[in-house]
Amino acid sequence: MKKLWHSLPTLVAFVALCLCVAPAAYAQELGASSVNLPYTGNRTAVWVVAQLHILFAAFILGAPIFVVIAEWLGYRKQDPRYDRMAKEVTKVTVILFSLTAVTGGFFIFVLLAAYPEFTTWFINQFYIVFAVLYPALFIIETILMYAYLYTWDVWKGEKKGRHIALGIVLNLVCLLILFVINGPTSFMNTPPKAEGVSPQDFLAAATLWDKIANQSWFPLSLHRIDGNVAFGGFIAGMIASYMYMGSKTQEERAYYDWMGFVAIWIAVGGSLLQPFTGLLLAYEMCDYDFSFCPYMMADQLSMFFEVQGMMIGLLFLAINYYSWLSVKRIEGAESVRMTILAPIVLVAILPVTMWVMNVYWIPDPMSLAILLPLVLSPFLLAKLVPLTVSARTVIKIGFIVMLVSDAVWLTPAGFVATGTDMPDELSLPEGWDYLASMPAKLSAIIVLVFITVVNYVLYNRTIKQGTIHWGKIDFVSQFVLIFLAFVSTWIMSLMGAVRSLLKKYFHAYSLVSDFTAESFTPTLSYSAWWITGITVSFLIIVTLAAMVALRPSVSKVRELEGRAVPVEAKSTGT
Amino acid sequence: MFKKLIIALAVGGVVIAVAHSQEVPSDFQILWGVFAMIGAVVFMLLDAPPLKTMNGGKSLFAVLAFWAVVITVCIAGASLLPQFDPEDEREKINKLLEKQRAASQQGKAEELIARAKALDEQVKALEERLKTLGTGQAVVASAAPAPSDAKPSAASAGGGDVMKVGEEQWQLQECYNCHKLRGEGGKKRGPELDNIGTLLTVEEIQEKIANPKSFMAEGYEKEWQKGVMPDKFKDLMDPKEMLALATWLGSFKNTAINTPKPIKK
Repeated sequence: MKKLWHSLPTLVAFVALCLCVAPAAYAQELGASSVNLPYTGNRTAVWVVAQLHILFAAFILGAPIFVVIAEWLGYRKQDPRYDRMAKEVTKVTVILFSLTAVTGGFFIFVLLAAYPEFTTWFINQFYIVFAVLYPALFIIETILMYAYLYTWDVWKGEKKGRHIALGIVLNLVCLLILFVINGPTSFMNTPPKAEGVSPQDFLAAATLWDKIANQSWFPLSLHRIDGNVAFGGFIAGMIASYMYMGSKTQEERAYYDWMGFVAIWIAVGGSLLQPFTGLLLAYEMCDYDFSFCPYMMADQLSMFFEVQGMMIGLLFLAINYYSWLSVKRIEGAESVRMTILAPIVLVAILPVTMWVMNVYWIPDPMSLAILLPLVLSPFLLAKLVPLTVSARTVIKIGFIVMLVSDAVWLTPAGFVATGTDMPDELSLPEGWDYLASMPAKLSAIIVLVFITVVNYVLYNRTIKQGTIHWGKIDFVSQFVLIFLAFVSTWIMSLMGAVRSLLKKYFHAYSLVSDFTAESFTPTLSYSAWWITGITVSFLIIVTLAAMVALRPSVSKVRELEGRAVPVEAKSTGT
Repeated sequence: MFKKLIIALAVGGVVIAVAHSQEVPSDFQILWGVFAMIGAVVFMLLDAPPLKTMNGGKSLFAVLAFWAVVITVCIAGASLLPQFDPEDEREKINKLLEKQRAASQQGKAEELIARAKALDEQVKALEERLKTLGTGQAVVASAAPAPSDAKPSAASAGGGDVMKVGEEQWQLQECYNCHKLRGEGGKKRGPELDNIGTLLTVEEIQEKIANPKSFMAEGYEKEWQKGVMPDKFKDLMDPKEMLALATWLGSFKNTAINTPKPIKK
């Protein structure tokens, strides 16, 4: 029974893989009619299943990066906590790996049922990818993933380097899968084209590589890589919070407190890059077809971006609040001080960045020439200025600046659903309209990132001067961890919807039109309901997977098994 | 706690007062006022006493309640913002895809279904007539006349008012997103076009729409260089529609508006 339980995920993954490949064969048959899916309608059904699949895929592609970093840190620092965390997250990843395959297979079936003609056309465009490359890589990833988990206790001690190397190979395959599958995904938004040639004519002559390496392929892949690392970290943080809440001993609580903390900081590392790779993706999309730009920022999707700003603002506030709670439980934190330049720069950074962005828009090197010395001055000139302020004051000033930045980010050109129907009485008057400009939004993002970095530096300084009491963090921090996982999942689902909606009334932009009655932009409210539903479903499944993978009974059984084996036998028996 | 609330109220009040004096719309005043209140909540949280560790059922209940709050805030937050009406877009998409749909397999299938339905109704009407004849009752010839107009109407861009078609294309292709015309639309992304008829002939306007690189508006060098105007319109409009749009635009000769001079490239 136990064996069956362990082989179940493999079986599920295999069946799902077969489901993925089957449509490629079915795609050879043309002229199938579509099924009308009840309750949700075809488009929403495809949306929900696709988004769920993407969330699972994002986790299983992001978690291995997170895991190998943690394992390597544990090896380098000789800290067994890192190794334990890495192994626990891997166990959850293996279960979610099967669910990725299941939702992937289900997605292809729903797509085929709802849009048979388009699916057939699409699979034919990427036949080699769907029928050969993707399944082959998926099989290799499956083998590596299981090998990575099952060699954990075998390749330890001197052989640890070998295990880390296996993890790196696994990550390389994961990255390859991401790049491969992002080809068809980005193709739907930005199929290859050339000036003066019709899209259909260009496609007829395009090679598979032309189709994969389309304009948004690389930026999308970059955005997804750092997004997946951040996502993996936030989800690991949520798992840590549940385990913390369920801990029976102070020792366990200390460990899961530590795990939540490390997970969040790895997630923050990814999050800091997210806004910039996201902007790069948006820039490439607008460069491909400028009509995407007003559609996103001024018209139908403008309020989607308003909500995005709201959620990212909350995400950064929550990250820094967690950081604040972490500082609070450090003994001696009150005596940590920082140069007075830090609060001065914090207060000045938003207006200065807004001015710089207005005058020297990126990639003008002048913008960097002004901003870089400004942000580095508290660190470089600290020794020249003897005046200091307490770390807590600096963090509090940071919160005020963060709130102002959030307000700037959230200030739209007008409170209307589409910019084209903007009456004067609802739009920002002249003189105030710079608050709604792109330079202002970019400045707000830069400031949020900068403050988070300052807080991280402060935290590190506090650790060096004080003593951390693991397991004694304010309990409210555990809700912050859950909140961060929820918000990051919600934002991912929202932006997934935005990316897909950018195709407007096309299945593949400017190539295949969507003739169904559902090819319009849904309302934000309708989208929010579904996005929330997807987020909740995903997080519940992850919670259940974590409970199954990390249930204490398993650990106890293993522990007993471990005790029964003599030390010599353990090291020589393999 | 009260101190923070008073400070937030004072800050919010000042911001609202300044914005009000500058005639900033009330929605923005509310937004910034709300931010002042969020600030108060944030600072209350920063200085709040630590929450005691919970276990078992208590922590489960707390997590569920927390989830309920977060879910409500997310859905309510998004629903309170202005909502785009899909009906506006649906009508446009229908018009844009009308021809393509008719030409596609699906279009043909829909036409066949419509014909089949019409035939079915005819058969039913005949059956009714036969029944009434059989029972000797009076024939009421009101039921289901033969639907001679079952075929989708083909009258679109071909005939009719060229100017009307041109204006319709302006709306359908959403040219107003970048160009200001009659004081409406445009966000300085493209030149204002109220005097374009004086500067370009209809043929030249048509050339510019089909090949955006053919002319460069003075002062829009960067945009021209970057190819901001998409070169997709020749694929989205048929020659008749494009001519109609060019003709309609060519009729704008308002010299009071400073439409930038187009330079042939």
